[in-house]
Amino acid sequence: MQDQDLCAAQNRGVRELGAEKLVGWDEVQQGVVINSFDGDATGIVHQKAEERVYSDFNSYTATVASWRVQKPVFNIDVCIDCQNCWVWCPDSSIISRDKQMLGIDYDHCKGCGVCVEVCPTNPKSLLMFTEHTELDAALSGWPEKTKKEEK
Amino acid sequence: MAITSIKNLKEFSTNNDRFEGAHLLCPGCAHSMIVRELMNCTDDNLVISTNTGCLEVSTAVYPYTSWDTSWIHIGFENAATAISGAEAMYKARKRKGTLKDPDAPVKFVAFGGDGSTYDIGFQWLSGAMERGHDFTYICLDNENYANTGGQRSSSTPIGATTTTAQAGSHSYGKKEKKKDIVSIMAAHGAPYVAQLAPNKWKSMAQGFQKALGTEGPCFINTVSACTTEWRFDPKDTIHITDLATDSLMFPIYEIIDGHELNILYRPKNVIPVEEYLAAQGRYKHLFKPEHKHVIESIQKEIDQKWEMLQRREEARI
Amino acid sequence: MAEKYEIKETEVWDGNYAISQALRQAQVDVVAAYPITPSTPIVENYGNYVANGYIDGEFVMVESEHAAMSGCVGAAAAGGRVATATSSQGFALMVEVLYQASGMRLPIVLTVANRALASPLNVRGDHSDMYLGRDSGWIQLDAFNAEEAYDMTLCAFRIGEHLNVRLPVMVHQDGFLTSHTAQNIHPLSDEEAYRFVGDYKCVDEMLDFTRPVTYGAQTEEDWHFEHKAKQHKALMDSRAIIDEVFAEYGKLTGRTYNRVENYLMEDAEVAIVALGSSVETCRLAAEELRAEGIKAGVVAPRCFRPFPFDAIREALKDVKAIACLDRSSPGGAMGALFNEVSAALYSTQARPMVTNFIYGLGGRDFAVKEAKRIFMEQKAHVDAGHITTSIQQFSGLRGPKLGFFETKRS
Repeated sequence: MQDQDLCAAQNRGVRELGAEKLVGWDEVQQGVVINSFDGDATGIVHQKAEERVYSDFNSYTATVASWRVQKPVFNIDVCIDCQNCWVWCPDSSIISRDKQMLGIDYDHCKGCGVCVEVCPTNPKSLLMFTEHTELDAALSGWPEKTKKEEK
Repeated sequence: MAITSIKNLKEFSTNNDRFEGAHLLCPGCAHSMIVRELMNCTDDNLVISTNTGCLEVSTAVYPYTSWDTSWIHIGFENAATAISGAEAMYKARKRKGTLKDPDAPVKFVAFGGDGSTYDIGFQWLSGAMERGHDFTYICLDNENYANTGGQRSSSTPIGATTTTAQAGSHSYGKKEKKKDIVSIMAAHGAPYVAQLAPNKWKSMAQGFQKALGTEGPCFINTVSACTTEWRFDPKDTIHITDLATDSLMFPIYEIIDGHELNILYRPKNVIPVEEYLAAQGRYKHLFKPEHKHVIESIQKEIDQKWEMLQRREEARI
Repeated sequence: MAEKYEIKETEVWDGNYAISQALRQAQVDVVAAYPITPSTPIVENYGNYVANGYIDGEFVMVESEHAAMSGCVGAAAAGGRVATATSSQGFALMVEVLYQASGMRLPIVLTVANRALASPLNVRGDHSDMYLGRDSGWIQLDAFNAEEAYDMTLCAFRIGEHLNVRLPVMVHQDGFLTSHTAQNIHPLSDEEAYRFVGDYKCVDEMLDFTRPVTYGAQTEEDWHFEHKAKQHKALMDSRAIIDEVFAEYGKLTGRTYNRVENYLMEDAEVAIVALGSSVETCRLAAEELRAEGIKAGVVAPRCFRPFPFDAIREALKDVKAIACLDRSSPGGAMGALFNEVSAALYSTQARPMVTNFIYGLGGRDFAVKEAKRIFMEQKAHVDAGHITTSIQQFSGLRGPKLGFFETKRS
């Protein structure tokens, strides 16, 4: 079963949108200028998410999990690490490290299902399940390889 | 420029995203696929401007930003000018020695939707292209004002229904043809102009890298399938984009220095445009018998355009 | 390194030339501009400095005034000194971006050669464009002559870029009347001028890659109000910094400015409140009337925004009758200067009589004789103990007398 905090920096998806602390005029930023990171961000391009120090103002710290009706479930046993899901995920929610697909960032996945559609394996390595489905339940009922003519 | 390897997708996937999740774009939106890919194409620092539109209103809603690089939004029309100003400031400060890190590599990029690119920001874009700033402008072309609920733009194709060019008992939707923005930008004499699509990730990445690596103003029109206004299931974004490129509704090509045209994708099996149209709710009405002629005329236009592109490519002029 | 520009202790410059020299001396990093009469020579002169190597910065000639201010905003967010110039229709086209510049707290300097707004088209000076900017969140400084245009431009950089201010600043001069009228000017040397303006201090620059910043986020009903209130507070608080900068400039040049310039006001019984080049006209009128025993004085806001509510009240609290001169068509209301001066005076014990004159639209001449007539009308109100005319009148207008509203005070 996938670790829910897979490759997460400690403040990933910690706030619901709209649930931020409301501060007074004297505490908001001058010129509405927002910092993406706390501290020196030199070289973040070479850092993985879990190595970065995201500021509270980076949307990385927010979650859109509540948008989902269905969620993709990843089956590592079938995956060929083609990275189709990574390149086409619109929500930066496919967690790949060192050319390997590891799982899904459920804080930022909106459940669009693109990853499932672009998955080329047979059976697919990603399938959509209703949001409340337990991951192990989803994996235990994974379909078998389908023959070409049945497709 | 520090380009990232795009030899294969595995290689490409080792890049660390600089466009963060929990932005507010619709599930399945192609905008963020395109933006992510652009940002993953280079290791250089980026300064990005964005016109008002879906991308802007979804990625910088206080107190959040989804941008890990410096980013600015001013108005609906002026991202090209905002980036012009930033690029000019970079040059001035580099000359005067006031940059914190004068050796840090940086690229200037502007994003706009088709509303801001083809319509309201057209003059600002043209001005910036003519002035020759070193930047890349990327149009996220979803062929309508999706941010405000799907009004027609001058990029909306003939026959599509939008809230301001509706299909009805007396109308088959938009009557006017889509503006040819790629030719217009090439006519500015820009060093690199292209039309790219996210389903062809590699040619898109290569095009982005060419643009970023080319000095001067570069323009790229990207097809950005819009699940909400084109009316298809969010999971089908790449499938719809496949239909767009394989029907040649969106041919993939580049124009170098305003004249040298190269086709970057030739579908093995060109599909009839009908298949592309039938997959989207915005063209549903065209399948009524009285509007059949519109589909025929769209197909004819596509065939002519493809012929023209191939001849231009052959001519090498 | 820019070429050395030779300037003399006394030069004969018009307002536009004086401003372009101040921009050169401030070593502006980026000027993004679009020409429009009567501010065009500012941009042309600057182009001349660029062509002859007197400028190290970038000169970006854009395709519209909207783009000029857009380029300025992008440049300023990238961390450097930015300036431009405009007038009238160009100013109107810029308006959208003026609000963006102030909201982002970018200390851009915009020099405005004031000109009427069409329709009907008119290239001459009135204050319609200046008034159009009054809610835009910019500091607005007003120069009454060419030398002041130079002085205000140098001060504008110091004020706007002050870390406790960080707001854009407009420097206004009257189109043609000031912009194209040459006078003796005593500029600072390049070294003195730059030392006064100082190096630009970067705040939240997009080119600091150690600290990526997002400019121009959207704020809806749960955040917008707080951000706008903070911006307004900064504008109100800039009054003290403006005083400070004016005092320092005075020490350097012997030319000391104030947020409100009072002339012959110590014992004044009647006063005119005016802006722009008319201030000098009114001063001459006051001098002449003083010789005739009329206690006339002139109050002129040097700083139109933030409006000097405090200093105006102080200047006028003992005056008996006041004429506020508005050089902009008020569009169905009393003139802005009248409204704002009246509001300031309403909180005084005396609550003097205040009337409004709309004058000089589209560059209509305003002479000493007319200023004297207005003063004398105020004297008549004082003698009668009430306002004897309509509260709003038109000065210098042909045709039947035009006026609105009578006094209700006994």
